[in-house]
Amino acid sequence: MKLRLETIGNGDQTSGQRRGRNHYSRLYRKFVFLTLICSLAPLFLVGWGIYIYYSGFSRMKIESYFKSQVDHHRGIIELFLRERTSDLQLVVFTQSPDYLQKTPNLRRIFNVMNREGSFFADLGIIDDQGRHLAYIGPYDLMGKNYSKTFWFNEVMKKGVYISDMFMGFRNAPHFIIAVLRTDGNRKWILRASIDTEYFRSLVENVKMGRTGEAYLSNREGILQTTPRFSGKIMENAPLPAVFFRKESGIGILETDRDDPNRRFPRQIVAYTWLENPRWKLVIKQDYSEAFRDANHANRAALIFLHLSLLVILIISVISTRYMIKVIKKRDEEADRLNRQLTQASKLASLGELSAGVAHEINNPLAIILTENQVIRDSVEEILTLDESFKTELFTSLSQVDAQVQRCNLITQNLLRFSRRTRSRLETVNLNAFLEEIIQLMEGRAKGMGIQFSADLEKDLPSFLSDPSQLQQVFLNLITNAFDAHDGKPYGTISISTRFNNQREGVEIVVTDTGSGIPPENMEKMFDPFFTTKPVGKGTGLGLSITYSIIKRLGGDISVQSEIGKGTQFNIFLPFMPPADVQENLDDVFVNPPSSA
Amino acid sequence: MKIPRILLVDDEVAFANNILKLLSKRGYDVIAVNDGASAIRTIGEKEFDVVILDMKMPGMDGIATLKEIKKKEPLAEVVILTGHGSVESGIEGMQLGAFDFVMKPVSIDDLHEKVCQAYQRKLIEEERVKQQESGR
Repeated sequence: MKLRLETIGNGDQTSGQRRGRNHYSRLYRKFVFLTLICSLAPLFLVGWGIYIYYSGFSRMKIESYFKSQVDHHRGIIELFLRERTSDLQLVVFTQSPDYLQKTPNLRRIFNVMNREGSFFADLGIIDDQGRHLAYIGPYDLMGKNYSKTFWFNEVMKKGVYISDMFMGFRNAPHFIIAVLRTDGNRKWILRASIDTEYFRSLVENVKMGRTGEAYLSNREGILQTTPRFSGKIMENAPLPAVFFRKESGIGILETDRDDPNRRFPRQIVAYTWLENPRWKLVIKQDYSEAFRDANHANRAALIFLHLSLLVILIISVISTRYMIKVIKKRDEEADRLNRQLTQASKLASLGELSAGVAHEINNPLAIILTENQVIRDSVEEILTLDESFKTELFTSLSQVDAQVQRCNLITQNLLRFSRRTRSRLETVNLNAFLEEIIQLMEGRAKGMGIQFSADLEKDLPSFLSDPSQLQQVFLNLITNAFDAHDGKPYGTISISTRFNNQREGVEIVVTDTGSGIPPENMEKMFDPFFTTKPVGKGTGLGLSITYSIIKRLGGDISVQSEIGKGTQFNIFLPFMPPADVQENLDDVFVNPPSSA
Repeated sequence: MKIPRILLVDDEVAFANNILKLLSKRGYDVIAVNDGASAIRTIGEKEFDVVILDMKMPGMDGIATLKEIKKKEPLAEVVILTGHGSVESGIEGMQLGAFDFVMKPVSIDDLHEKVCQAYQRKLIEEERVKQQESGR
């Protein structure tokens, strides 16, 4: 287990424990949720607005396109029928019936009329009795009498007549255009049937895309051309009458799922009525094909929306992670400062207490010491006293002296810890200083099988510090390192110095290969009177004094330790001690006591 | 030979009595008082060679007493008694003309040595002053 201890306490762990992992994951979820809400709400709003507007717009566009197509196509069909009617009128009003009755003449006229396209399927002359006087066409219709047919009556009444599709004598679907000419008492009719296939291709010419169809049907809803998909000529048209109430219109046709003729579930239908004859022109197209571009745009928008969602999600997760990291770092920093403050105030109050206690103890100690001496002096004077008793008494008195000195040492340490001693700043060459300390301790180290290893930064500048206090710091650390090697046959204490340009100071690392510090002691190790050493061996003040000295000199100290592997103390010392320490410099260093 | 006369100023009665006994045994003429005011009064009555002066006393403290002593008896050498936490007051005392300071708890041998040194210094100073006066 490896622990890192920042200055005091167990660093990151405390903040982790105090706030808990849950605190940050809750914060994380909350932040992600809020970021998503803040980003997605406007995105959906804008997306929804654009979708509504664009859908309406594209629907309107498509409908108006259909409307214009159906109107335009109606014009073409009407023009075709008018032109064909005019063709017949031209012939009937410019040629005599006698001329037309002659088959070669009629054939020539038929050929001329079909020169631009095979508009007409056949052409015939009929007299006012309904008799077929002459005929050019593929059917055998000569000699037929039309006086009983519906169209004959109509043309006799109106003069010009365009019929609906009918079977007639030829027994095939067709429609005719008939023109009547009256000349005195004489009446005759020029009748032509329009080529059904040609007319169908003309009507179909408007067909749109793969699924579009166009057809004509009459007022009774009978198909006048064969639609591309639904139904056949002369059959009932597939569309309900409700569609055709207006002169022209547009709508959506939904086909039931169980309709056997269901080819397209949904179609857009545009229609318009022709003037003459009263046929309705219907244009249909599968809805999805008609709206393909709009749907395509919608799909693209949907993909874009999903991509945006993904990007927002990723960004919010990443940015939240970053934010949480920053917050965590700040919290940890605040915790660290808090702990430092707590430790500092703890040390300060303990320092006050210790100083008071030390002072108060000094006086009784002084009395005990002098009292001891008084006894010693008095005993010396008694000449009759047994020599062995005297020796025993003096041994005891010496023991009292020794214990008083021990108490004295404790009070000295207490006072040092309580910062009652002043810093004496001098220029310190740290490398030389450390080498001296190593030399001083080397003898004792050898006896314990411990080796020193120094890795000192060359050209480290000399700086102002308190050598006697620094000596105490390093002696404390090295003595602790010695104690940590108890029970180990050999070990190493490494000391390194590094110049820290950024913080304008020096970093000193003291590492030992000792037994390490148990995690539970890490928090308390800088506390005064905390010791793991046996009674009488340590006062528990060494590391507190070290800590308070380093702090007073404006530096910091941290420790990392691994059980069984060793401990590492990292010390930073600034080249310039804090201002309050430097003020003492004026008192102590610049004006040294004259009579010392 | 003149017996060196010492004034011991310490508010700790037991301590003062012990030091009085111990120094008397070592051949000094010691008078012990327990506060600054008594010390000043006693200085006015008799001549002292060395003053052992505790710094921390109720009422008139060591520094004020030292100033008064130095005013009344400039030739008397003052050895300051101070605690470990009050090294500064010892140094301050030395800047005001005290001979040296010793830290409590002090062994009688150390104190004796310090008093000896102070007495010798006093004798030298006295000699110097005498020569200056006769030279005039």
